[in-house]
Amino acid sequence: GQVDLVDFIDWTGVECLNQDPAHGIANALKQGYREDEGLHLASDSDEQLLIYIPFMQVIKLHSALFKGPEEEGPKTVKLFSNREHMGFSNVNDFPPSDSVDLSSSHLLESKPVTLKYVKFQNVRRYVHLSLAGG
Amino acid sequence: LLLQSTMICIDNSEWMRNGDYSPSRFQAQADAVNLICGAKTQSNPENTVGVMTMAGKGVRVLVTPTSDLGKILACMHGLEVGAEANLAAAIQVAQLALKHRQNKRQQQRIIVFIGSPVTYDKKVLETIGKKLKKNNVALDVVDFGETDDEKPEKLEALIAAVNSSDSSHIVHVPPGDHALSDVLISTPIFTGEEGGSGFAASAAAAAATGATGYDFGVDPNVDPELALALRLSMEEERARQEAIAKKAAEDNKDQASSSTDAIMAEAELTLNAPADVDADLLKDDDDAQLLQQALAMSMDEGASGAAAVADAAMAEAAADDQDLALALQMSVQDAEAAGQSDMSKVFEDRSFVTSILNSLPGVDPNDPSVKDLLASLHGQGEDLVLMVTGKQNYLQNSINK
Repeated sequence: GQVDLVDFIDWTGVECLNQDPAHGIANALKQGYREDEGLHLASDSDEQLLIYIPFMQVIKLHSALFKGPEEEGPKTVKLFSNREHMGFSNVNDFPPSDSVDLSSSHLLESKPVTLKYVKFQNVRRYVHLSLAGG
Repeated sequence: LLLQSTMICIDNSEWMRNGDYSPSRFQAQADAVNLICGAKTQSNPENTVGVMTMAGKGVRVLVTPTSDLGKILACMHGLEVGAEANLAAAIQVAQLALKHRQNKRQQQRIIVFIGSPVTYDKKVLETIGKKLKKNNVALDVVDFGETDDEKPEKLEALIAAVNSSDSSHIVHVPPGDHALSDVLISTPIFTGEEGGSGFAASAAAAAATGATGYDFGVDPNVDPELALALRLSMEEERARQEAIAKKAAEDNKDQASSSTDAIMAEAELTLNAPADVDADLLKDDDDAQLLQQALAMSMDEGASGAAAVADAAMAEAAADDQDLALALQMSVQDAEAAGQSDMSKVFEDRSFVTSILNSLPGVDPNDPSVKDLLASLHGQGEDLVLMVTGKQNYLQNSINK
């Protein structure tokens, strides 16, 4: 069976680059915050967000759920398993472990996206780059 | 405490030879850098600071972010001045150095000293600023030395692009009588966002009066261990006094309040002692004198400490039982007087004394002189003690002969 991995997140190491200080990563990940419709994660200078999530133990990632408005929500999400020291400058140097194009149904209906399970068997930390549309 | 990793970019270009800041732009800058390194490492021991050059032999990192102040200060020696500063490249390299910091929880910060003219466009600088903001890096700029119409405006634009909730700052320091360091001490570059660490505040106060004083009269750069040790012992003392006062405050007996007064008075004495140490240290570096002061302090502390602990313990116990309180008080008073009488009670126990005498080498309990001694035991108190010890000495001497 699958469990929500929120309990396995090592909060001391969670980082989100280019987040709007008023709309931070906790709004998207933390229980209580993420259910609140009024709270959301937003990017700052441009449309890219880089989220780094370490886990307290090795996990297998099965699927991810993205929720957001159609226009301003993420369009493309690239996931990288077990990468350190990623910045916007070098994130495109590596091939992503998986790449997801989100449709409106994903965002609005909160349909979880099944990932390439085989690529996420041994995840200690995961980096997620999300790009919004035009 | 704010946890930071800082990269300091030094302008060591040809423009730094100018003497409009005394003794030279470069030296004034070096002093300021030393001060900043000290302040950062002191405000949080887990902070790291790195240093790099923007000119001279080129943009290069002299020391990657470390919490070892000695290592940081050492790398400042023997820096050559020359060539032109490359601001954009330097900021990029600084960013890279910060990205690879070991402790991800440290907030990233770059401090740039720019004394030469700025050759880059405002647009380019804004892009750089945006990139820093996107990567969550704060930026402080010290604008000094060369000045033209565009330089302040360009640098302001850079800071505006980076700034996110007032984490980035710019300071313009015109040439003049004041040292670069003195001007910087009172700026947010030193004091940080939370509005000041103890070090910065006291250094600022000292700078204002014109003296270069530090918290404990010891230059943390010259002897960081001593300064740290003094500061730690001050804090420990304060914490201890607070704990004792708190304990006493939990009580509402008169006894408690009187012992608290005693403790407070003693606390004042010990707290004042460091101030005396401080004054003496300024006059005289002699280690022996310092040791003496420390001994005096610890002795005073020892006496008051023992009394304070005893009082506190008494107060707590007495809270439960009035009779107990009375008994305790009596016993404390008697304790001093009762020293000898306790001894005499011990010696009244004949069998005990016999066993002691047996254990002394060369004493035969059947010896008539010893028998006389035992007979005269009862109620002899102090005199007996002396006699016994005298006997022991005599016996020892006879054995040794």
